[in-house]
Amino acid sequence: MGTILGTVAAMIVGGAVAAVTVVGVVSSQTSPQGDSPANVNAPVVQYGATQ
Amino acid sequence: MTLPDPPPRWVRAVPAAWSSLLAVLLLGPALGPGYVLSFDMVWVPDLVLRADVLGVGTGLPRAVPSDAVVAVLDEVLPGALLQDLVLLAALVVGGLGVNRLLVPLDLGLPARLAGLTLWQWNPYVVERLVLGHWPVLVGYAALPWVLHGASRWRVEGRCPARLLLLVPLGSLSVSAGLATSSALLVVLVAGRAPVRRVLAAAVLAVAAQAPWLVSGLLHAGAAVTDGEGAALFALSDEGLLPAPLAAASLGGVWNAAVVPDSRQGLLAVVGLLVLAVLAAAGLAVLLRRPTPAARGLARPLAVLWAVGWGLAVLTWAAPGPVGDLAEVLPGAGVLRDGARLLLLCVPLLVLLVALAVDAAARRLRAARLPTPAVVALLGVLVLWPVTVLPDAAIGVAGRLDAVEYPSSYAGARAALEEAAPDGDVLVLPLSSYRAPDWNDGRPVLDPLPRVLVPVPVASDDLVVDDVTVAGEDPRVRDARVALAEPDPAARAAALGRLGIAAVAEDLTAPGPRAEVAGEQVWADERLRVLVLPEAEPRSVPTGWVAAMGLAWAAYLAVAAAGLVLALVRRRRGTGGSRGATHPMRRNLSG
Repeated sequence: MGTILGTVAAMIVGGAVAAVTVVGVVSSQTSPQGDSPANVNAPVVQYGATQ
Repeated sequence: MTLPDPPPRWVRAVPAAWSSLLAVLLLGPALGPGYVLSFDMVWVPDLVLRADVLGVGTGLPRAVPSDAVVAVLDEVLPGALLQDLVLLAALVVGGLGVNRLLVPLDLGLPARLAGLTLWQWNPYVVERLVLGHWPVLVGYAALPWVLHGASRWRVEGRCPARLLLLVPLGSLSVSAGLATSSALLVVLVAGRAPVRRVLAAAVLAVAAQAPWLVSGLLHAGAAVTDGEGAALFALSDEGLLPAPLAAASLGGVWNAAVVPDSRQGLLAVVGLLVLAVLAAAGLAVLLRRPTPAARGLARPLAVLWAVGWGLAVLTWAAPGPVGDLAEVLPGAGVLRDGARLLLLCVPLLVLLVALAVDAAARRLRAARLPTPAVVALLGVLVLWPVTVLPDAAIGVAGRLDAVEYPSSYAGARAALEEAAPDGDVLVLPLSSYRAPDWNDGRPVLDPLPRVLVPVPVASDDLVVDDVTVAGEDPRVRDARVALAEPDPAARAAALGRLGIAAVAEDLTAPGPRAEVAGEQVWADERLRVLVLPEAEPRSVPTGWVAAMGLAWAAYLAVAAAGLVLALVRRRRGTGGSRGATHPMRRNLSG
């Protein structure tokens, strides 16, 4: 009984993580890009902005 | 005593296949035809081996020796192909190095794959890739091999030939060189190697750093950096994680523009928790059942972790003193990018995670669960770094992509070569970064100085949060003064007195510029090149040439010695590396 429960739990956890990974990878590729940090109207192109 | 059979060939091929798959998934479109131009990553079709590339320019040696190595190699391979190979190899070679490092610990395949995945797929790798710090990533790839080679040196008393090649290769930039040297020396010192061996390693490390070290000393007068940068480039909070925890999860880079979206939310917290649980479990395994090999490896890795994390947190906790130090101590500016040395933290985390996964795999097998269930759970333990950082995939969600240079660049280079002015070229506008439309607006260090043949005089100021961190090149300051002259002819004359014989201007880029009198040899909608009427030739001091000649000789001698030693040992059959793939044949515990 314990083996069956363990198997089911393992498959659920494994399947869930696999699904989350695939969904995460796919959605990160299909979501719109954030605004570019560069602004062509700025006096110079900045190296970056701190967080 | 009979040795156990080595694992079947397909098992030995799995780490290479998995590492390659991860690398291709991460780089994605960056491996396409063209050049990946992202922040500090600038590759061009044909970089010329000229004074600044060799470390005798007037600015600090920021790309020494990496640019010189590229300038030589792109004579053999096209620049775009070379860049693809370097980026791919930086990931795959490092992944295989981790596998090699873990083999002597007698860990199973899932544990090694878990360590390999964490090594290749983490915030440090992703953020440094987007920020364009490819020499650091080459050093990162060399790190596990250097650790392995240093361990063998410590145990066997004979320097592996491979180490003589790896240390110069892992020292293509200042940060990478410091990390590589630290790894080499810490393994020997923490393993209580004889003093003579430690001294020999120190000589090797210094020789491999000679190009940037000597060039930095020659520029000692200008080598102090603007303290303003210390606060801007310090280790940073990342999303929900305060800076020290961001660093613990291998993130915390200063630049918000290179941080993946997943690091800004809950996934970063989940990633940190999973990493903490696995690291704690690995530590428990290490403390409860320490094998000599694991204990021997863990000691130096713990020191490296403490150094990497400690220096990173120092820049966050005390940016003022770090900035003050950079202003007065030549070379101390290298510490201001706080998160850069976090590569030193990764080997310990990989070891602990691999130990934890190996223990979990043994328990799962002992529980006699059906094979599919065991595979599913071990898959979770291998795959979790990807799960919590999904937007690293496909070129970090499109942040890395390959583009072609517009034909203007080749035209401007050819026109300037044909005009052959007797002097250097000033690059305008006088600002460091560009965001060209042909690069999809992605910011990149101006590629024009690397495209052109003469030595460039180009801005080295950095603008962050609208704050300008002053550059160090005194010649740029002089050029700025020359450009403030009242009319184009006076500007041309003043520039000529600085040894500047041409001006190349990016017409599409914003930034400080001024009209200069001269003969136009190239102009289109993007670029314009002028040759100035007169320029006083500028020569490099003989002492500088001699000093850098010795530095390059030392650097190349180390690599050449490695090649010769490898050939001699191979001929004698005493290479000693083949058996190292089997745990029973090479124990690095000492």
